Amino acid sequence: MTITQLSHVAMEMGVILLSNGAETYRVEESMHRISIALGAKEAEIFVVPTTIILSVTLEGEVPLTRTQRIHSRKIDLTKVSEINHLSRQICYEPTNYKDLIAEIRRIDTIPSYPYYLHVLAFAFISQMFTLFFGGSLVDSGIGFLIGIGIKLQMDIMGRFEANVFFTNIVGGLIASTVAVTATGLGLTTNMNTIIIGSIMTLVPGLAITNSIRDIIAGDYLSGLTKGIEALLIGAAIAAGVAVPLSLLRPFWGG
Amino acid sequence: MNYITPCLYAFGASLAFAIVFNIPRNKLLLSALGGLLGQLVYVVCQLVISNDVILYLLATIAISLYAEVLARLTKSPTTIYLAVALIPLVPGGGIYYTMLYFINGEMDLGITTGVHTLLISGALAVGIIMISSTVNLVRKVMLRGSSKIGKKRKHGKNA
Repeated sequence: MTITQLSHVAMEMGVILLSNGAETYRVEESMHRISIALGAKEAEIFVVPTTIILSVTLEGEVPLTRTQRIHSRKIDLTKVSEINHLSRQICYEPTNYKDLIAEIRRIDTIPSYPYYLHVLAFAFISQMFTLFFGGSLVDSGIGFLIGIGIKLQMDIMGRFEANVFFTNIVGGLIASTVAVTATGLGLTTNMNTIIIGSIMTLVPGLAITNSIRDIIAGDYLSGLTKGIEALLIGAAIAAGVAVPLSLLRPFWGG
Repeated sequence: MNYITPCLYAFGASLAFAIVFNIPRNKLLLSALGGLLGQLVYVVCQLVISNDVILYLLATIAISLYAEVLARLTKSPTTIYLAVALIPLVPGGGIYYTMLYFINGEMDLGITTGVHTLLISGALAVGIIMISSTVNLVRKVMLRGSSKIGKKRKHGKNA
């Protein structure tokens, strides 16, 4: 395998890992293991949540360095899991370049769950958490509707590449507006429960987990970046919820 | 009955979150069971311990152990199980009430709730750190031990 092919395989796998929600240290570790298994003499990799820098050396050749910027990130742990599996496989039995690229293409195009299932999942999260925090069946129904609303809103704003914080502010705003209105109309008395239950859909669970795990692995830079992202998203949700609570309640007398 | 229902709700919510995170089909149920386990530990320990920060710590320790063990068994990343199981323990209520007290002008209550929420988040982090670090350490000691046995068998006993 030539140095160009080697760096191409390692970089492609790193990009899929990083842009689908793997921890930063996992990306560095996997890329290093793959490069060594494919015959590199040395491999230096530096990853932050938005960039990968890879520098490989083959015996008797000039080192090659590549940089890749990650522009969009989403969460697809199936791809992370599959790439993880592939990198294990490479370490046991190195394959040729063509097969590897074909396998990486296959993993990159694995379909995620259908869209309606994602919408239902959001609605279900919101409904379950409303019940979890002590809501009644009517409350959970309102939660269900808010969940659908939040998912559609996030996708529409995502299509226009609105920033994450603004998206979460609007998400909180929707949850709280619907809950305050429902309380004002006399449909329910558990406004707080509904709001808490439906904002749980916005909780950045993966960012929290990855941030902690990166810090344990000694990758403070990425850990702190993710941690601050999680913290700011939390603040954005609270800010979004606060607006209708302060503005609408005087009218509804809730 | 009061102990079972929150666990079932946590299971349902975790299952839905597993779909949102696009977790592989054959691991959906296993990862959602983590959410149920966390809540079960919380509810059961509630009978003995009244401090809820400790309860959150114990629940996190339980789900971290569960995630690490399953990740080794199924040869997949720990995050798959951990991120999903952690979500029902995230103090969403705490964040909300902190904000609510502040906009109602009740500063004292807001600060008390805010600090309490921070403590719970700290407990979650500490729980994950404790288990992950221990598992890593054990794994490294075992790897070191097996490679030593392979290389220097003539030295006799090895750690």
